[in-house]
Amino acid sequence: MSIEHPVYLEDKLEQIRTSGRLHYRSKSLPTWCPGCGYYSMTEGVTWALNEIGTANEDVVVVSGIGCASRFPFFMETYGFHTLHGRTLPVATGIKLANENLTVIVVGGDGDGFAIGGGHIPHVARRNVDITYLLFDNGIYGLTKGQVSPTSALGFKTPTSPFQNQDEPLNPLAMLLAYGSSWVGQAYAGRPDHLAEMIRGAIKHRGFSYLHILSPCVTFDKTDRTYRRLDLEVRDLPDNHDSRDRLAAMSEASTTDRPALGVFYNEQRRTLGDALDAVVEKAGGVPRRLAVRQ
Amino acid sequence: MAVTPSSLNVEIPASAPARRHPKIDLRVVDPVRAAIRDGSVIGVRRTTLSGNDAVAKGALEVGARFFAGYPITPSSEILEYVAKHIFRCGGTYLQMEDEISSIAAAIGAALGGVKSFTATSGPGFSLKQENLGYACLTECPLVVVNVQRGGPSTGGPTDVGQSDVMQARWGTHGDHPVVVVAPYSVQECYEETIRAFNLSERYRIPVIVLTDAKISQMKEPVTLPAQDAIPIVNRAKPIGTQQGYEPFGLSPTGIPPLAGMGEGYRAHFTGLYHGRDGLPTRDPKMIEEQMLRIHAKLETPTATAEIRKTETYFIDDADVIVVAYGITARAAKDAVVQARREGLRAGLLRPVTLWPSDAEVLPEVLGRVRKVVVPELNLGQYITEIQRLAYESARRNQIVPPEIVPLNRVDMQLISPAQILQELRS
Repeated sequence: MSIEHPVYLEDKLEQIRTSGRLHYRSKSLPTWCPGCGYYSMTEGVTWALNEIGTANEDVVVVSGIGCASRFPFFMETYGFHTLHGRTLPVATGIKLANENLTVIVVGGDGDGFAIGGGHIPHVARRNVDITYLLFDNGIYGLTKGQVSPTSALGFKTPTSPFQNQDEPLNPLAMLLAYGSSWVGQAYAGRPDHLAEMIRGAIKHRGFSYLHILSPCVTFDKTDRTYRRLDLEVRDLPDNHDSRDRLAAMSEASTTDRPALGVFYNEQRRTLGDALDAVVEKAGGVPRRLAVRQ
Repeated sequence: MAVTPSSLNVEIPASAPARRHPKIDLRVVDPVRAAIRDGSVIGVRRTTLSGNDAVAKGALEVGARFFAGYPITPSSEILEYVAKHIFRCGGTYLQMEDEISSIAAAIGAALGGVKSFTATSGPGFSLKQENLGYACLTECPLVVVNVQRGGPSTGGPTDVGQSDVMQARWGTHGDHPVVVVAPYSVQECYEETIRAFNLSERYRIPVIVLTDAKISQMKEPVTLPAQDAIPIVNRAKPIGTQQGYEPFGLSPTGIPPLAGMGEGYRAHFTGLYHGRDGLPTRDPKMIEEQMLRIHAKLETPTATAEIRKTETYFIDDADVIVVAYGITARAAKDAVVQARREGLRAGLLRPVTLWPSDAEVLPEVLGRVRKVVVPELNLGQYITEIQRLAYESARRNQIVPPEIVPLNRVDMQLISPAQILQELRS
């Protein structure tokens, strides 16, 4: 990995200038550590938006608190930097305010599964038509390296100085159990696949959850490293049926060899569709026409 | 407890002018009632409502089209009313998974471009505080209804309290502007909710409607204006070029126009200190500019005239007054009438807008009375503000401050007129 600094980033921006993706990037340059997987995600999001052809004015990027929190500022879209753990309800409100918007939520494992864990089941079961890019590095990077809900057993951090005694969560299995209508996994070390997966997640009509594995290059030098993840990740078997929730659950259970790909994908009515049915029962005017002032 | 120097028993000179504070222009502070009174409203609607229903009805009629809430006694009827009626108005309602997500979703929808609100009671209001601060800093038009009960903690869920007067003002961290209105009747629940929405839209601030368990549950006859006569304020939207739109920019009023998401005026919102463009900043000058602006926008002459609202009752010649708000003001009014019958020069000051406190009427009256009784269903919260204003006024005018007497109950019972009368007499 070469030494990265703002000059490098300028070069990087120059590289993507020709790709047509730059108009999704703001003038603010990312401030993540050199080597952070968030660079892959940023590239992936701009590539996917460009591929889909979404107008800047139709995209809202929502973040909470953590290393992901500044992501909206690097995007030339609507940006919504909310409170720690509160991305999903805010995104729900935005989506209901204007169904035409493409709402992308980004957050880390602490934001999503610790302080904000109570919101995930409900946004999944309601099938709110938003995309959740969860960036899992198994550590609290922004606060300089404490243990997180997805840290491995035995992992030593300043807040687990002897060893992490808590069993890590299995986010993919949780999301499948919660009824998420699109569940996938990608790896920051495979940026092209990640970009493809982001495109799939954004295009999915309903709640899409993309779990992105990434190392924290600054605060985790031992456990979840690029070197280790490179060896551990595998592709989902060719014959995996993404309509089969049990098969998805089975794949999600093999946590020692994380699989990359679309675990589960189902088309079912979104919260917007469900509310339209409620409006009809209530004898109301169509929501999408009346909700705006 | 009130500080009462022995030199306090000074007589108020009989030559005191009858009215030294400006008469409130009802048309400014209370257009709904003014319209009903001056007969300019045709086809008023007479009905009977509970306080909670009146709040919800007022919200829907002033144009609220998004509500997210979580059931909590004694505010749940607001959710139930909204759930039943909002879809017919073209709005959306969600029962969320908790109190925090309720206000978070309402903020998302509000900045998304839709008039939004949420409702709760004390414990839920505590949970909402972090997001309330977010709404203050992002200048989000939002209405939060807090139907007060006893506290701290679960306290008395089904019974009355005025325990959140200070929480409403200072619940979230940091210096933040907030407007709190406290209705004292079902009629006012309706009117003040309308006013709360209009203030929140005009000034881009969260406004808190502070009712209580008794007002929320009791039913009273109300007179409502015809729907087309309701004054409706909508947020100012940006006009002109979309490029370079500043959601926190400078404007003559200090209130930057706010576009809904998807309308082309792209914007960033963050709970971090931010510049005019909404992007985070660590520039001390910019932070100071923005922090001072969000307070100053409520302190212009236009803003203070519209936000302040205090009812004065037999105040002109009063030498002993009650300062009361919400449900307690009802008993206070009764006590003042009885005191007048007994020949006491008693009066009532009723702040309808609790916060920011009325820096015009309150200090003026507090500066010319002998005694002030402050009944509250807590152990003395608003009294500290009354003391501050009275002592400040006395210091500035070099006069002796009035005796300020607390009258408190925290036993889930209302303060009776007899209790207040006793204090007025002594």
